[in-house]
Amino acid sequence: MLIGISLISFFIMHLAPGDITSNEASFNPKASEESRQKLRELYNLDKPVIVQYGLWLKRMTTLDFGTSFASHQKPVFWQTTDKDGNITKGLIQEALPITLLINILGLIITLALAIPLGIIAARKYLSWQDRTITLFNFVGFSIPGFWLSLLLMYWLGVANNWLPISGLHSINYESMDTWGKIKDSLSHLLMPVIIPSVTGLAGITLFVKNGMLDVLNQDYITTARAKGLDEHKVIYTHALRNAMLPLITIIGLSIPGLIGGSVIAETIFAIPGMGKLFYDAVMMRDFPVVMGILTIGSALTLMGNLLADIAYAWADPRVRRGVARE
Amino acid sequence: MNHSLFKKALSNPLALAGFIIIMMVFLLAMLAPLIAPYDPDDINVKAILLAPSWLHWMGTDGLGRDVLSRMLYGGRISLLVGLVAVGISTAIGILLGAIAGYYRGWVDTLIMRLVDVMLSIPSFFLILAVIAFLTPSIINVMIVIGLTSWMGVTRLVRAEFLSLSGREFVMASRTLGAKDARLIFMHLLPNSLTPIIVSSVLGIAGAVLMESGLSFLGLGVQAPQASWGNILTDGKDYIQFAWWLSLFPGLAILITVLGYNLLGEGLRDALDPRSGSNK
Repeated sequence: MLIGISLISFFIMHLAPGDITSNEASFNPKASEESRQKLRELYNLDKPVIVQYGLWLKRMTTLDFGTSFASHQKPVFWQTTDKDGNITKGLIQEALPITLLINILGLIITLALAIPLGIIAARKYLSWQDRTITLFNFVGFSIPGFWLSLLLMYWLGVANNWLPISGLHSINYESMDTWGKIKDSLSHLLMPVIIPSVTGLAGITLFVKNGMLDVLNQDYITTARAKGLDEHKVIYTHALRNAMLPLITIIGLSIPGLIGGSVIAETIFAIPGMGKLFYDAVMMRDFPVVMGILTIGSALTLMGNLLADIAYAWADPRVRRGVARE
Repeated sequence: MNHSLFKKALSNPLALAGFIIIMMVFLLAMLAPLIAPYDPDDINVKAILLAPSWLHWMGTDGLGRDVLSRMLYGGRISLLVGLVAVGISTAIGILLGAIAGYYRGWVDTLIMRLVDVMLSIPSFFLILAVIAFLTPSIINVMIVIGLTSWMGVTRLVRAEFLSLSGREFVMASRTLGAKDARLIFMHLLPNSLTPIIVSSVLGIAGAVLMESGLSFLGLGVQAPQASWGNILTDGKDYIQFAWWLSLFPGLAILITVLGYNLLGEGLRDALDPRSGSNK
């Protein structure tokens, strides 16, 4: 699986017309053909594509994606210590936690809103509440996230100056006290976290609603009601747990979308996460960084799917027994 | 699609609403040369960043171009990209899905592995990487979106083929000596058409969003040609001075995508007997 991904990402990079040397040479008009050749040798660009792939794969087994073309001293992954003892962090190492933080916070907000909304829509199926939520879902599906970001940036950031519109910290971040730092970070994170959750909300709400509708028609719910359990208990202990099962899979499947979606959001809000790093790397034709991110992004997806499968087995005893029996 | 099916589809209020929205957007885009008040590329230094007024209904941009005219012409691009990209992905999806679902065995395994691999690469990263290394142009955007979004259709067609193959009319036809091609094109494909149409319509919605996102990042449709996405890029640059540059193209994208989504979901409700009963 990973090998397939690495093959695809590697060969896409070589579809590219021109290479890094043309980029570098354009910064330095004096660069001769000879020095370009040296550069190519340095990065093994002079070897045939298949040899490059082999070399790359060999280094990748140690998670070494090579050195960024654009910022020479910085390795793409894992920190290094130079001879003076200065620690240089890897580009992905710096960017990944930021993106993960934003996406996980966003996911929590999405779920916190989507589950109650989905339950309401399912319980009051075809009522005005359900119709309002459905309408909201359609709009949520269709709204371009970056446009929503721009509007909110204008409204909250430019017109009213309530929230900062870019970056993770204010310029005077270092001089703030702890409380000030927390407040500063939160206000910077607010828009980038909330906007993707709003657009992601629609899909999950619809999913919870359909799951609940299916479950509410099951015999054991009728049984629970017939036993005289109060409706609250029926919904939250009997129905919800079963309705949540497919949701685990959906969240697992939505990971590539979340990572991919971070490109636009991070570019708009100038957040130094994976998305922005990727965008900049693509623009600079920085092969090692691009391939590192493609591979790490895909590996994250696979890990997400695996976690979803594990969570599923944990939540649903039927799956566990099914596995044991096989 | 035959007449009665078409009628049935549009009897669904969602589908009808979506259909009307799409038709109106198409009409406006097609009539662009007739109804656009100005030349979309006409630069006017005396009319830079004017707010909406009777002269310029949607204001002007940083080069004094009329935003309404650019929106109308940009609509043509956005609609075209959506249709062609989904045409490509649906064609690939049907082909691979049919091969996998009909012939099964190792071909099936191979194709499904490929689907898994493609699905696990964050698609926006993939598209961005490919687009950035090719020269950005409308053609490339259409091809790349098409080439990176066929996986859903492939799975769909394969699943339909697998379930249809066991049905009596297919077995009967096979017993009577029907050739592979006849089975595929006369029996299996027509009977899987409904979910394919639904997923294509919803796919167009996704492709329009994708194109606008790419153009917004400067990797899609290139200036001076207008597209809703790249008008929004200007909107971002001038966000402090000109809200109209952000508002209108976004609304246009929202309305168009909403139209396709309504149409797709409506069609699903109307044509798919399974979803009608339990939803």
